[in-house]
Amino acid sequence: MNGRAKPLFDSLQAAWLLLVLVLLYIPMISVALASLSNTRYMLFPHRTWTTDAYADALAGYTTGALHLTSLRIALLVVVISVVLASFGALAFARFDWRGRRAFQRFLVLPLFFPQPVLGLALLVYFTALGITPSWQTAAFAHLVWIVPVVTLVISIRLYNYDVLQEDAAFDLGATRLQVLREVTLPALAPGIVSGALFAFLLSWSNLPLSVFTSGADTTLPEWLYSRTATNYSPMVPAIAVIATAVSAMVVIAAALGLSLARGRDGAGTTS
Amino acid sequence: MGTILSTQAVSKRFGDVIALDDVSLEIREGEFFTIVGPSGSGKSTLLRILAGLETPAAGRVHLRNADITDVPANRRPTCMVFQNLALFSHRSVGENIEFSQKMKGVPPHERREHALDMMRIVRLPESYYGRRVTHCSGGEQQRVALARALASDPEILFFDEPLSSIDYRLRKILEVEMKDLHRRTGKTFVYITHSLEEAMVMSDRIAIMKSGRIVQSGTPTDIYYRPTNRFVAEFMGEVNVFELAGGQIAELGIAVPAGAAGCLAVRPEFLRKLGDGERADVRFPATVANDYMLGSRTHYHLDTGKRILVAEVAAGKAAEITVGAKAEWGFDLSDAALLDE
Repeated sequence: MNGRAKPLFDSLQAAWLLLVLVLLYIPMISVALASLSNTRYMLFPHRTWTTDAYADALAGYTTGALHLTSLRIALLVVVISVVLASFGALAFARFDWRGRRAFQRFLVLPLFFPQPVLGLALLVYFTALGITPSWQTAAFAHLVWIVPVVTLVISIRLYNYDVLQEDAAFDLGATRLQVLREVTLPALAPGIVSGALFAFLLSWSNLPLSVFTSGADTTLPEWLYSRTATNYSPMVPAIAVIATAVSAMVVIAAALGLSLARGRDGAGTTS
Repeated sequence: MGTILSTQAVSKRFGDVIALDDVSLEIREGEFFTIVGPSGSGKSTLLRILAGLETPAAGRVHLRNADITDVPANRRPTCMVFQNLALFSHRSVGENIEFSQKMKGVPPHERREHALDMMRIVRLPESYYGRRVTHCSGGEQQRVALARALASDPEILFFDEPLSSIDYRLRKILEVEMKDLHRRTGKTFVYITHSLEEAMVMSDRIAIMKSGRIVQSGTPTDIYYRPTNRFVAEFMGEVNVFELAGGQIAELGIAVPAGAAGCLAVRPEFLRKLGDGERADVRFPATVANDYMLGSRTHYHLDTGKRILVAEVAAGKAAEITVGAKAEWGFDLSDAALLDE
């Protein structure tokens, strides 16, 4: 009897899980569905199902340009924020310097600013300095907001890190480089990976900062917003779906890279 | 037994704080040398300088005849066991122990053999080899840290209060094991602790530190029975200190030939109740105020009318002393130490 009840229970459980997932993802699914239409009005079910919007999106120059802009900003933000945040987090973990606590508070202050206010402030600042807003200034704006987040993420992963392990390794005959490779980086690695993902996704999806600071360059969220507000066509959800797929691919690639790195590390250390 | 490690007038400061002030010491080949002092006395800084993890602001450090002041820790034939052990938390017991050999490029199977040898020396079962260090108990982690340090085959092993966070019973066991390990390996051990007991049990020689200076060094017996100043006398356990003035013990008005100024220190075990006609260099009447049973011996608080003194009596002789009884007590000057302050 138990043997028969078990599969039933399992399938009910699976169905429930599926339901939760479907409810969570329905909004995104509806975007995907909207992209398969050929009208400017959201009617469902569609009279004609078509992938014309995708064909248009892929043929047009806009899609590539938008992705390129957003990708450039995101990659720049990832690299700079991870480097700055790693040093920042290590400084917190390693040293007890004067002004440490004050710095900690000032560091997270930008997070408490409403992003449009921060964007406006930065635009005023760039204008005052005579800098023409472009994707670079947008990247700078993203950094102001994202570096604190990434520093927090890496700091949290370093919270239990015992810096004396570095002294111990050095005392056991490791060179500075070996200490970095064998002790510091393995401790930092999980934080760096999650920090980089956070940085990428936060930059990729940021609208309020980009609106104010990207100047003549247009990012994906900016374009999606303005074309939804005026001049809507099924190409908008189509590009939204493509953008989601691109960011998903980046996340999956990062996860794969991480598990590969872990696997290699595990094999290396057990030998 | 020649000198293996020595410092000459080493000083170090952190901002306004003077951590070490003109410290010179000599550690002999193969001895168990302990540096004792209260927290903030500079003993950890001194150890880090000896290990090469810190450089002194002034003074030199010599290993035998070579000046190693500027040689960093990774190129010194020494190894440290840290206060919190600083085990590599994301690695197994075996990987921790093999670390120094891995850095040298020793092939894996040799490292493994060596690690298992080290585990035998510190009495860790072979089955612990693949265990994560975070899954080991406190005592097991101590042994892993010891094995990891031994695996680098250092000439000198440093210990930075490794037993301070361990409960009393386990600490007693590990103290004995540590002394035993010292005997078996024949290596020079330099140990720091704030616990007098730990120092006395394990050491061949002890140096006492206070405010960045070494105030006295010698064998445990020397330091316990012949302290040269009040700080050492009081730090090394219960002691009765009498101030001297004008060739007399001021409070008792008894002349002593020992010296005109300074203090006289008498350990509690040298105060004895005097029988009829029994002579003592210094004698005074006192009432037994209270007794404290310590197992093999008993401590009595003696009220001289001016202050409380402590006397220690072996369990077998305690029967003749009763609380509240007034009697003549005394000690001999040969059992007292003259302190310079």
